Amino acid sequence: MNELLEPLLRPYDDKRRAELVAAYMAVEHAAEPVPEVRFPALREPALRRTVERMLGLSGRTLIKTSPAHWTSGYSDRVREALAADPACALPVSDRAVLTLVLIHSVAIPRAEGLLTDDSWLSPYPAPLEELRRRSQLTISELEGALRRLRAAGLVAHVKAGPDEASGGYVPGPQFHRLTEAARRRLQEQLILAAGPDSPLAAAIRARRRGTGRGRA
Amino acid sequence: MTDLDPQALARARARVVGAAAMPAEEPVPAGLLRVADRERAWALPAWPDGATPAVLEEYQIAPMPLDRPGPARRALAAALRCCWRRLDDSPWPGEAASLADVLEVHAAITRGDEELKRRWAIGDLRRLADTGWLLLDEKAGVVRSGPRTALWSEESLAPLRALLRRMPPPPAASPGEEG
Repeated sequence: MNELLEPLLRPYDDKRRAELVAAYMAVEHAAEPVPEVRFPALREPALRRTVERMLGLSGRTLIKTSPAHWTSGYSDRVREALAADPACALPVSDRAVLTLVLIHSVAIPRAEGLLTDDSWLSPYPAPLEELRRRSQLTISELEGALRRLRAAGLVAHVKAGPDEASGGYVPGPQFHRLTEAARRRLQEQLILAAGPDSPLAAAIRARRRGTGRGRA
Repeated sequence: MTDLDPQALARARARVVGAAAMPAEEPVPAGLLRVADRERAWALPAWPDGATPAVLEEYQIAPMPLDRPGPARRALAAALRCCWRRLDDSPWPGEAASLADVLEVHAAITRGDEELKRRWAIGDLRRLADTGWLLLDEKAGVVRSGPRTALWSEESLAPLRALLRRMPPPPAASPGEEG
């Protein structure tokens, strides 16, 4: 029994309860968004609301990634609070490497018109050699960062051929788990990182200053 | 939108912090499982109705991909063989083992160039430590079972015990110590 979820699960019969638990475990643990056709508790709106409330107890929310696929992620307010907490932030070397991967595998292909929609998944790997050259990290720091990012599902390694060095890194499966607002925020951060002097970056900074004043 | 529930935030934070330990006296957010040794505690997920992520298999849904899954399993098995000496007990908290012993057991169950195997094994042990399956202190040369092994259900332990009994024992073990 789970003291936390019990009050939400208690009203349901065994069958429904098992469906709710299966959907909850699936969205939380699957690598990719899961199809609702396989999970009655994702397909039926009333049950889906219960799954959403189960997730909400741990600061998570349901995310629809395509017309009939679901995954889970941190809700926006929880994400903001966690991002402000130094214990939850990635080490600076990991963030640097992740940013490079996103610039090479998403921002550049998108600027070239190769990636059209706002997906954070990309078939264009950032070459390891490029990460070595640009990251300003020692080899062992870079390897440590890539190891942690891979373990966290934030990057994935892609082999281009039989040779390990010929491949590179693309954004990992965790990028499915971004809410609409998180995707927008990441898009803006990437513009600030890749083109800090661009008019778009200036507009983002101006708008954020405005919002900051508005909140204060 | 309602106010941010501090308990929900605390559980989310524990999830992000993941394999990192906190001081043993710090409380674990309600609804999470507290796993502790003398000095440290970990807040781990408590799943409903005895479900585990293995439920994904029933639905033929892929879990999060693991780097080098086969080699990682062998490295974990070598470490458990050394840290989980009394097999009738549970794997957690287990006993501290020397990294050298773990590498020796690992070398005995794998094939290939000794130096290369050793380097790969250390990489696998680091990944297992990053994710809480092992506790690894490379400077001190010490390996222990990780807090996540406390999540293994009793019924899943029998095949694991049988597997470990078939593996070569760690070098220092006397026959009397075998569980």
